[in-house]
Amino acid sequence: MSRFFATGSDSESEESSSADEITPKAPGTTFTKQSLLLSDDEEDTKRVVRSAKDKRFEELTNLIKTIRNAMKIRDMSKCLEEFEQLCRAFLKSKTIVDKEGVPPFYIRILADLEDYLNQLWEDKEGKKKMNKNNAKALSTLRQKIRKYNRDYETEIASYKENPMASADEEEEKDEVESGSSSDSDDEPADAKSFLKKKSATEAPPPNASKFLKGAADEESSSSDGDNEDWDSDTSESDSGSEDETGRSTSMAVNFLKKTSSEGDRHTSEKKKEERKKRHKRKERIEEEAEEEAQEEGEGEWEKVKGGVPLVKEKLKMFAKGTEINTTVVVKKLNEILQARGKKGTDRAAQIELLHALANISNENNLGEGILVKIKFNIIASLYDYNPNLAAFMKADMWKKCLDCIDELLDILFNNDKIFIGENIAEDSENLASDSQEYRVRGCILTLVERMDEEFTKIMQNTDPHSQEYVDNLKDEGRVCGIIDRLMAYLEMETKGSTEEVCRVYLRRIMHTYYKFDYKAHRRALGLQGETKSEQDAEESEGEDSAFIMDRLCKYIYAKDRTDRIRTCAILCHIYHHALHSRWYQARDLMLMSHLQDNIQHADPPVQILYNRTMVQLGICAFRQGMIKDAHNALLDIQSSGRAKELLGQGLLMRNMQERNAEQEKIEKRRQVPFHMHINLELLECVYLVSAMLLEIPYMAAHEFDARRRMISKQFHHQLRVGERQPLLGPPESMREHVVAASKAMKMGDWRTCHSFIINEKMNSKVWDLFPETQCVREMLVRKIQEESLRTYLFTYSSVYDSISMETLKEMFELELPTVHSIISKMIINEELMASLDQPTQTVVMHRTEPTSLQNMALQLAEKLGGLVENNERVFDLKQGVYGGYFNRDQKGGYQQKQGGYNRDQRGSYQQKQGGYNRDGQRGGYQQKQGGYNRDGGGYQRQGGYNRDGGGYQQRQGGYNRDGNRGGGGGYQGQNRGGYQGGGGYQGGGGYQGGGGGGYRGGYKGGYQNQDRRDY
Amino acid sequence: MASRATLDSPVKQIQIEGLVVLKMIKHYQEEGQGTEVVQGVLLGLVVEDRLEITNCFPFPQHTEDDADFDEVQYQMEMMRSLRHVNIDHLHVGWYQSTYYGSFVSRALLDSQFSYQHAIEESVVLIYDPIKTAQGSLSLKAYRLTPKLMEICKEKDFSAEGLKKAMIGFEHMFEEVPIVIKNSHLINVLMWELEEKSTVADKHELLNLSSSNHLEKSLQLLMDRVDDMSQDIVKYNTYSRNLSKQQQQKHQYTQRRQQENAQRQTRGEPPLPEEDISKMFKPPQPPPRMDTLLIAGQINNYCQNVKEFTSQNLGKLFLAEALQGHNS
Repeated sequence: MSRFFATGSDSESEESSSADEITPKAPGTTFTKQSLLLSDDEEDTKRVVRSAKDKRFEELTNLIKTIRNAMKIRDMSKCLEEFEQLCRAFLKSKTIVDKEGVPPFYIRILADLEDYLNQLWEDKEGKKKMNKNNAKALSTLRQKIRKYNRDYETEIASYKENPMASADEEEEKDEVESGSSSDSDDEPADAKSFLKKKSATEAPPPNASKFLKGAADEESSSSDGDNEDWDSDTSESDSGSEDETGRSTSMAVNFLKKTSSEGDRHTSEKKKEERKKRHKRKERIEEEAEEEAQEEGEGEWEKVKGGVPLVKEKLKMFAKGTEINTTVVVKKLNEILQARGKKGTDRAAQIELLHALANISNENNLGEGILVKIKFNIIASLYDYNPNLAAFMKADMWKKCLDCIDELLDILFNNDKIFIGENIAEDSENLASDSQEYRVRGCILTLVERMDEEFTKIMQNTDPHSQEYVDNLKDEGRVCGIIDRLMAYLEMETKGSTEEVCRVYLRRIMHTYYKFDYKAHRRALGLQGETKSEQDAEESEGEDSAFIMDRLCKYIYAKDRTDRIRTCAILCHIYHHALHSRWYQARDLMLMSHLQDNIQHADPPVQILYNRTMVQLGICAFRQGMIKDAHNALLDIQSSGRAKELLGQGLLMRNMQERNAEQEKIEKRRQVPFHMHINLELLECVYLVSAMLLEIPYMAAHEFDARRRMISKQFHHQLRVGERQPLLGPPESMREHVVAASKAMKMGDWRTCHSFIINEKMNSKVWDLFPETQCVREMLVRKIQEESLRTYLFTYSSVYDSISMETLKEMFELELPTVHSIISKMIINEELMASLDQPTQTVVMHRTEPTSLQNMALQLAEKLGGLVENNERVFDLKQGVYGGYFNRDQKGGYQQKQGGYNRDQRGSYQQKQGGYNRDGQRGGYQQKQGGYNRDGGGYQRQGGYNRDGGGYQQRQGGYNRDGNRGGGGGYQGQNRGGYQGGGGYQGGGGYQGGGGGGYRGGYKGGYQNQDRRDY
Repeated sequence: MASRATLDSPVKQIQIEGLVVLKMIKHYQEEGQGTEVVQGVLLGLVVEDRLEITNCFPFPQHTEDDADFDEVQYQMEMMRSLRHVNIDHLHVGWYQSTYYGSFVSRALLDSQFSYQHAIEESVVLIYDPIKTAQGSLSLKAYRLTPKLMEICKEKDFSAEGLKKAMIGFEHMFEEVPIVIKNSHLINVLMWELEEKSTVADKHELLNLSSSNHLEKSLQLLMDRVDDMSQDIVKYNTYSRNLSKQQQQKHQYTQRRQQENAQRQTRGEPPLPEEDISKMFKPPQPPPRMDTLLIAGQINNYCQNVKEFTSQNLGKLFLAEALQGHNS
């Protein structure tokens, strides 16, 4: 309510204040409005191209205006917001401020605002009435402005002393500024500017008085703000109305111009263009005003809109009589460009204008140089169209952009006298003379790169399952075409530096690497038996993508100096190789590049590319039957469970703690467009199947090994999930298929396994996605057969005395040599304790592998050993407690140093220990034992200690044990075996020694050693 | 109620009706499977120094749905109903099935304690269906030893408490000999049936395959050993902490004494005595009862395995001899 009330009063006061103060001014304003209706050109001609300073200051004044409005309606939060913006804007215009000094109006608002706030602050009652938000904002704002104003103390003080003067100064300066800049524009303005000056000197007094008032009265101060705008924008027309003579002359000028405009299209066009800008400004003002003065303002402003039909505008741009030459056009261009990036600029209109300008220059045959320049700017402004980095181009804009770039390239190709480059300075440009070479500032490469990025953005933002995506994807051809043409252009001598060539090559590579070259594939397969015409078509198709990749990448390897381009090129090259099943090339390139070592330092997009490459490499290895390589390549991606994210193919749902909105946006921008995606299900299936082929035989071989490690956690996880199922139906998903197949394989049942891995469902889901489906399937069947055979032998070798290879061959449908080689390999690797009997073609089992019961007993023995150790330790501790200062750790340390296998030393040590322990309960006992010890008879006590030592050895590292198991098994066996002399519970230890250590160490070690010698 | 008077001399023998055995077996076969155990109530009388178990009834299997099932209520109802049909209605214990002899657990201890606490003569019958399936009925009656009863009453499961009571895993449960008694009529029937039965029915006893059973036993044994190790480690850390603290305490008191002595020489008043036990809170001693139970269980397994292997060895020798004879 209060808001509306305030707005009402605002517009009223606007009128009233202008009406009150100087009577001549009131008609002036009305006249202005009229003049707007009649001929807008009048003021338009007075418009000048504004300098950066103007631009900045305008921004500031606008902000100040809103602040004043907010002040008026006591909207403190708005005030605070705007003030912060103002501070920022002011900071932005720092350079100008440095040059020009702090603008007085800025000081004014600071001072006013402070006064106002203090006033509000004092008004306790008013404060109470304020809502919470406002009150909070008030206090923050007050603090802020206090702090802020400290920097401008002197200025504010001087302003407060003499508000009038400073205001005066400002006005004057403004006028002079605009006047002088308008000088350069056209001659008639000269007179006007003079007039303006005159009027300007007249104008200030009322303004100043207003300020005085404004300080006291907020309402009028806001209207003051409005008026300020008026002053700066329309002071020309105001002045016209105030000064009759001035007005008439200006009118005359206007009139003249108007008549002339009919004669010359271009002149009017230019005017219109100006006008349009003007109009835009008006619109903006209107928008702002709308909030405050809806009813009143709208009606009037509406007319303005109607009065300026957009259609007509295009036709006029240059003044009549102006000779259309290069300089004029360039000037015009600069004018247009100046509006670029400004807040109120209508970007669409700007593009239109630039197009119009291009047409004009075309019609007037101004030469290619200028055209190129304009084209550059058109494309740039097309890119500028979206202020937001995340937003993507609209379809029509995109088309326009492509057309423009195509045209630009046409020009460049047709005219080899044009030089373009980003480092050609604006002054050294040569756009006009035909005799010399054109020199144009601008970089076509950057534009094309940007275009490419835009294309990616468009693809990212389109629903991949819609027709629209397909339509958009059709543009890929054009994009590639443009890149190709640019490549050809830059490859021409003296056109592009090597660096630029590298960049454009990379673009080309980026558009090639992920595409499967079917033609080359067909050719490689030797499918030339088709019709002659088809062959011809194939031949005319140009080189294989492989050759292109090779050529481009090699150029980059040789010439590139930035690491990033080379890295990307290598990765793409590898990807391309992998995609086309050139496994060895791909692998060698990957290994040679050493990318694995330092990829973690690269930026995320490169890392994503790296991940994609690794995955592709893994899939390639799988196709080639290199199961282990495939597994290793995919392990990193798959084990994290974030394959989707790592490949840039989608975001994982995560809570906001891990990622805020900003990060999410960034991540979204990194996503790979859908048509480049790698099928995740295929990826997972390949990984799981290779894990199955590796893991199942491994599991079978190490069924009883307590220290068995998993090859693939992911795979085990899937198996566990499968086991947890209460009811096992026929497999549905890909994972279930793999799990079911794994189970079958565990039993050595390769037929079932085969039918689970390769069937209709899996074909349609996974295998058909490969280019050489049949080969892959054949390879898989073979692998399944082989691995099943191995698994079978591992699992069931204990129940066979001997088995004929003939039978195995039939069981697994493998050739005899294959069976033979597999079994031989297993024997060599000591996986299978057997020998081959050549004459009968049978495998004779040695039956040395312990049965499951024996295994179990071994495990139990080991565990019991641990138990006894632990128990002993409890006992030791007891002793330590009673013995007083005897410290276990000390002893441990000593024993560790001892190394543990020196028996004699240990004995002596123990004697010493006995000495230490003399006061302990068991000390005496031990001493007695020491006597025995020498004889080597009763090891009982010592055995206890020794065990302890053993415990330490164990703890020192399982490494020691493992290490010993093979070669040094003798040590353990000996050591442990020694106890057997001891009686009682020591017998248990003896058992362990003899059974566990002795058995394992002795047997395995011996066997291994022997083997090593043999092979 | 005459039997009540003789309770001072504990029950020396248990006499079980064939009916009870059959009922238990049936109960397990119908409801128990795998590791799940079945339980029930034994009814009978004490006559002189023997406990006669004449009847039993099962507990319904627990399911999650009927959590509010009132067992006591159920027992009372059952016993009242049985009394109406003139069956012994005195509660003399309970029975439980077991899986490879794994019954020594906290739950069993607790419930047997509460039984024995309320009805002194009560026993627990352990029925091992797996061994029974192998050809020999395995039925054992256990009760807690008086010592263990004492400890359970005091709820003192600390190491010291157990030590004081001189209780080891061997002295936790005592087995009571069992006699199965049938009426003469049944005996006659049995004789008759024996005549008619074919030879094949009796041959389960001679089954030579042993590894499966042994493997299972070993597996269970290993699990228990693991538990035991853990417990020991726990105890170990505890005692280490304790000794460390004792040292600290010792040092502290010594320092205090020295300081006081110095102060005395200087003529100052001695420092006030602080509560040492407050400063050094002794670590919580781990309860030893579980360890004891595990030890008991391990012992039990070992017995089982020993028994089983000795039987099997016998069988193997038998088989060998037969083979030698045949060839």
